[in-house]
Amino acid sequence: MISVVRGGRLTIAVLLSLSVFACTRAGNDASTTDSNSIAELNRPMAAAPDNPVAGPQGRVPQFLVECPFSHALFDDPIVFPNVSRAAHLHVFFGNNGTNAASTYESLLAGTTNCDQPADTAAYWVPALMQGETMITPIKSVAYYRPGEGVDPTAVQPYPPGLKIIAGDAGAEQPQNTGVVAFTCGTAIRRDALPPTCPERRPLRMLVTFPDCWDGVNVDSDDHSSHMAYGSGGACPATHPVPVAQLQFSVDYGFSGDPAGLSLASGSLLTGHADFFNGWVQDKLVAEIRTCLHRKVVCAITSGGT
Amino acid sequence: MTKMVRFLAAATLLTLAAGCSSSTKSTGTTSGSDVSTQPTQPADSATPTAGATINVPADVATIQGAVDKAKPGDLILIQPGVYKEAVTVETENLTIRGIDRNTTILDGSFELNNGIKVVGANGVAIENLTARNYTKNGFFWTGVTGYRGSYLTAFRNGDYGIYAFLSYKGQLEHSYGAGSPDAGFYIGGCYPCDTLINDVTSEYNGLGYSGTNSGGNLFIVNSIFRFNRAGVVPNSGSYELCYPERATTVVGNVVYSNNQPDTPAIDVALLAMGNGILVAGGVNNSIERNLVFDHDKTGIGLVPFLEQDPNDVEPSQDTWDRACADTKNDPAPDPSTVPAAVLWSPFNNRVIGNVLENNRVADIAVDTVDVDLSTLGNCFSGNTFKTSAPLELEKLGPCDAAGNGGDWTAGSLNVISWLAEVHPPSQDYKTSSPEPPSQTNMPDAATAPARPATDVPEKVDVAAITVPVKPAL
Repeated sequence: MISVVRGGRLTIAVLLSLSVFACTRAGNDASTTDSNSIAELNRPMAAAPDNPVAGPQGRVPQFLVECPFSHALFDDPIVFPNVSRAAHLHVFFGNNGTNAASTYESLLAGTTNCDQPADTAAYWVPALMQGETMITPIKSVAYYRPGEGVDPTAVQPYPPGLKIIAGDAGAEQPQNTGVVAFTCGTAIRRDALPPTCPERRPLRMLVTFPDCWDGVNVDSDDHSSHMAYGSGGACPATHPVPVAQLQFSVDYGFSGDPAGLSLASGSLLTGHADFFNGWVQDKLVAEIRTCLHRKVVCAITSGGT
Repeated sequence: MTKMVRFLAAATLLTLAAGCSSSTKSTGTTSGSDVSTQPTQPADSATPTAGATINVPADVATIQGAVDKAKPGDLILIQPGVYKEAVTVETENLTIRGIDRNTTILDGSFELNNGIKVVGANGVAIENLTARNYTKNGFFWTGVTGYRGSYLTAFRNGDYGIYAFLSYKGQLEHSYGAGSPDAGFYIGGCYPCDTLINDVTSEYNGLGYSGTNSGGNLFIVNSIFRFNRAGVVPNSGSYELCYPERATTVVGNVVYSNNQPDTPAIDVALLAMGNGILVAGGVNNSIERNLVFDHDKTGIGLVPFLEQDPNDVEPSQDTWDRACADTKNDPAPDPSTVPAAVLWSPFNNRVIGNVLENNRVADIAVDTVDVDLSTLGNCFSGNTFKTSAPLELEKLGPCDAAGNGGDWTAGSLNVISWLAEVHPPSQDYKTSSPEPPSQTNMPDAATAPARPATDVPEKVDVAAITVPVKPAL
């Protein structure tokens, strides 16, 4: 409770110092994009989204799936298929049975812990470690939205069995916060490294997946080149199929000073997330049609629970 | 709140405190041998077409199956039973009705998310049903114009009981919401909403009513909000669109004993605990002729909402009449121009003619943080009360008259101190709320014709509503 008191007073101080009482709509006309220029033309594949869709809920159509923590394994069915205990420690959400041997068929035959019973997909991220101890995460939220500037009616469902990795598990420099970012709870500010979070708003990692598919392959040798990030509301010619932009949010269940923390993949710079499409495909198609094509916010996240 | 109240994790302070589709016209074709159909009229006027009746389970085994088979204007009539389904409705102008409200039950088994979710389909009416044990909401409309919920019971759901988001022209009536950690009833993200909540009871929730960034022809009347953490909580924040909350009219309700320590509750509900009607950063609201009693804090309180990591600053007063349909197209603000926190103060609210008793910090109150309260334009007149914060509030800020120029700081509510309070923790929504008592059935449920929500909201003579009499306790 003491920390809450301190937090509250600190906030008030910040508030006063920023003179927020002037009621203006600052910045409302400041966000036109002029970056889609020559630099983009030279790159077939953008390395990061222009601007991950975020901000006030309700701005863009979406559906979402909330899943509590399921299990932790040293497995990775995308990078080390059929080789158990070959990976760093991952924490899994969604499908209850995900392991190194998982296939599209096994995911479909399995169960999920998500609030969408048809979402038997597998989601996983590196475990957050404090020394040698894993911090047990609380839950994840998978947001499915059109990418920034993308016509929602153009978004296609993922093909069955699609595998996507976002973020760089080997990063040694801060990653683009449009791809991997840390926040406190639902805070909007994105940091490349975990901030010190108050108890009421524990540490969260947000990973934004690529939203353009090559239209052919559900995986690739490097597990990434079949996917790309769109730019300027369009997908590159090499990856012409716009798919939903998955933003995956993990509540790691940690508050306070991040000193001494690491990710199981290495330093705190190595944030990443994996997605293996094991949705009941008819339901995924229906969600894309019902929510994105009709431009409706089918759900928003809740606080607290 | 929207979940803000669903969302709200972001706001730690006083948060105090939460149509578009053009479906094909019915053409009169029959839709299958297992469904009794009749030709429908050409939809050439505002008059709803007479539709077929689809019986569940006689014609179609599941509610979802019936919904998928139905055409606009049809009536889906559901026999008593427990239906373990999460129904999505995408067809306009359906009427979905249970034969018996108390025994026609949608059950989410704590695995399914929404009992009935209406997505972008205008004019869908849901009647005489119970939805329980969903991880999210009992009944949920989103992105629609025209909706009605009548004689509904929603309890033990993990987010909201009865919930409308980004939706217009609605009516929720004769309904019951209980046992949700957020609100029993919620209207969010609409202005002008053109919506009526009439004759509902909300109890054992985190919040009885929550409305984030909603208002404008939004009436909450003749209802009971009791035994929640907090009663009626309109609220503002830029975590969702269409801020601020404004012009909600709360009249003729009985609001009492919202100090309930053993409900499920999101953080905001904990912070708002012990208040009857609490406007958290809302503006231009009218709170009149309610009976409000037995609260640990305020009967009617106007307080700030401190939003941390906001998406935007509070819009200026001259923009408060802009419709959501208009502001939705505003470009997103440049994050670098948005401060780390924004304080949403309550402005221009009118608190008139309420009867208050035994609200133990103050019967009526207004407060904010480091802003002169006399500049906010809130007013208080004709209330029956004993205590106020600040003191002499009806003399400091009467409605439609000049104040006495007195001291707005004397006897302050000191709302900041609420942050430091410890409240009984949230309880598991799956186990904490009592089974609801049997609820009144819709008249003639088995025989009444389909009535899609194309005629709502009905007009209510708000001026004729008087202060309710105190219920027998």
